[in-house]
Amino acid sequence: MAKFVTIGERLSTTAPAVNKAFMERDPEPILKRAKQQLDAGAVYLDVNIGPAEGYGEDLMKWAVKLLQENFDNVPLALDTSNKKAIEAGISVYNRSKGKPIVNSADAAGRIENVDLAAANDAIVIALCNGEGIAKDNDERMGYCQILLERGLEHGMEETDLWFDPLFLVVKGMQDKQMEILECIKMFSDMGLNSTGGLSNNSNGMPKHIRPIMDSALVAMCMMQGLTSAIVNPNDLRLMETIKSCDVFKNNTLYADSYLEI
Amino acid sequence: MPFTAKSGKFNAKINTVEVGTGDKAMKLGGENVLPFYTFDDAIENAPKVGIEITDGGLENEPECVRKFYEGCVTVADMAKKAVTFEGVDFLSIRLEGGDPNGKNKSTEELIQVVKEVADAVDVPLVVCGCKNVEKDAQLLDKAAAALDGRNAMFLAAKEENYKTVGASAGLAYKQIVGAESAVDINLAKQLNVLLTQLGVDSKMIVMNAGTAAVGYGFDYVVSTLDRVKAAALSQGDATLQMPIVTPVASETWVVKESTASEADMPEWGDVEERGIDMEVETAAAVLAAGSDAVILKHPESVRTVKAMINALI
Repeated sequence: MAKFVTIGERLSTTAPAVNKAFMERDPEPILKRAKQQLDAGAVYLDVNIGPAEGYGEDLMKWAVKLLQENFDNVPLALDTSNKKAIEAGISVYNRSKGKPIVNSADAAGRIENVDLAAANDAIVIALCNGEGIAKDNDERMGYCQILLERGLEHGMEETDLWFDPLFLVVKGMQDKQMEILECIKMFSDMGLNSTGGLSNNSNGMPKHIRPIMDSALVAMCMMQGLTSAIVNPNDLRLMETIKSCDVFKNNTLYADSYLEI
Repeated sequence: MPFTAKSGKFNAKINTVEVGTGDKAMKLGGENVLPFYTFDDAIENAPKVGIEITDGGLENEPECVRKFYEGCVTVADMAKKAVTFEGVDFLSIRLEGGDPNGKNKSTEELIQVVKEVADAVDVPLVVCGCKNVEKDAQLLDKAAAALDGRNAMFLAAKEENYKTVGASAGLAYKQIVGAESAVDINLAKQLNVLLTQLGVDSKMIVMNAGTAAVGYGFDYVVSTLDRVKAAALSQGDATLQMPIVTPVASETWVVKESTASEADMPEWGDVEERGIDMEVETAAAVLAAGSDAVILKHPESVRTVKAMINALI
C-alpha cells in the first residue's frame, strides 16, 4: 500500500489572513503557510479560494503558479465551487509531482465536477452526499455508486476518484461516528481511495482537545482503510499518529528516525 | 479477452552513483525495475563486478587465487595484475591487517598501501576497512584524505562510526560513503537517514545491506535485499534508493566449503572449484536480489559473473 496522503488545509479563505492575501495577491502569507505545511510533511496542498465569483480564474491561476514555482511543482487540490476557476488552475498546473485534485464533486448539484476531472486527467474528491447529509450508509454507498459510474463512463481510472464519506462533528452527531468508519471500510473493500475533512469531527471543541480527537480518529480511519485526509499538517500529534500508522500498515519501512522524515 | 502485458516498471528509481574518474568511471544504480527485469524497462547501468585484494598481499590469498598473481611482489603489483582480469570493473582493497585483534597494522602503514595501490591503477577504487569500528573510523578517514579527487567508495560507515566516516569521506572529501547494516532492514534505512541528516549528499551514498555466504543465513540476506528494493521502488522511499554494493569474497572464502582441503573432504571434490562455486552462487543470488555491484576474489568467478550479467542485460 502507498503511504497515507495528507492534504494540507491551511490555505483557505476561511482564514482571514489567507483571504486577505488572496484578495491582494500578496505572496508572502501564502508562501509562509505553504512552507510550514510542506515542512511538516504535507503531500498535497489544498487551495481554497472560496466561490470567488468573477475573479476566480485569475486568482486560481495566480495561486497555482505561485505555489508550484516556489515549491518544486508541489501537487495541489483546487478547492472552489467555481468550475471555471478550477479549469483555469489546471490550465497552468504542472503535474510532474502528481495530478491535480478537483475539490470537490457530490452526487447532486456538483456532479459535473467529475466530468471536469475526467476531461482534465485529474483526481476528484467525490463527496458521498446528495442534497443534505446522507441518512445512513445505504444512502452513502448509493451516492458512491453514482459517482463511481459517472467517473468510469467518462473514462476515469477508479483510483482517481477519492471518496469522501463526509466526516461529521462529534458534538451533536456522536452516534454517527461509527457509521462513517464503516463506510470507509466499504470503500476500502471495493479497492477505492478515500479522503475527507477529518478534523470536522472536533469542530467546536476546545483547542487543546482537537489534536487528540483528530489523532484518535485518523488512527481508526487508517485501520479501516482511509487513504488520505484533508488536515492541518502543523498538528504535530496528528502527523506523528499518521506516520506511526503508516508503519503499522507497512506503508513505509520503519527506521528509528521515522518521525523526522 | 486479449492479454495486455503490463509493464512492471516503477515511477521511482534507484539513485545513479558515479564511482571513479575519467574514462574508467562507472555508474551504479539508476534502475526503475526489479533486478534484471529488462522486459519491463531498459536497465541503463548493468551491475558491476569488482575484484578484491588485501593489504596482506599474496600471503593472504587462498592458494588457488595466488597462482593468478605469479611474479607479483607488492600489493600494488597485485593491483596492476588484478585489473587486467577479464570482467573487472573496479578494484577493492581490503585493509584487514588493521584489525586490532589480528595483525594490528598501523593506520600509516595501511594508508601507504592504499596510496601505492591507487597510484598503480586508474579503475574506480573501493576501500574496505578491517571490520573493527574504531579502527575503521581512523582508517577510512585517512584513506578518504589520501584518495582525495579519486571519487572512491569507502566501506563502510556503520551505526557506531558513521559520524566520523560520513564527515570525512562524505563531507570533507566528497567521496562515496558505503552504509553498512548487517542484514537489518530498519537499520539500513536509519543509517541512510542519519548520514543524510549529517549532510552527506544522498546521491553519494551506497548501501551494504548485509551479506553471507550461501547456506549461512542467506535467506535473511535475500529477504532484506528484496524488502529494500520493494521500499525503494514500489513505495518510492527515497531513504532506500541508494545502490547496493555487496562484498561477497570476504564471506565466501572463509567458509568450510571453500577452505576444507580435498584430503580432508574427498567427497566434496576439488577445492578450487568449490571456492569458485560458492563465490559465483552467492554473487549471482545477491545480484538477482537487487545488488548493483559485487566484490569477488577469484578471477574465474569475476569472469563468470560478468558473463552472466552480460547475458541478462
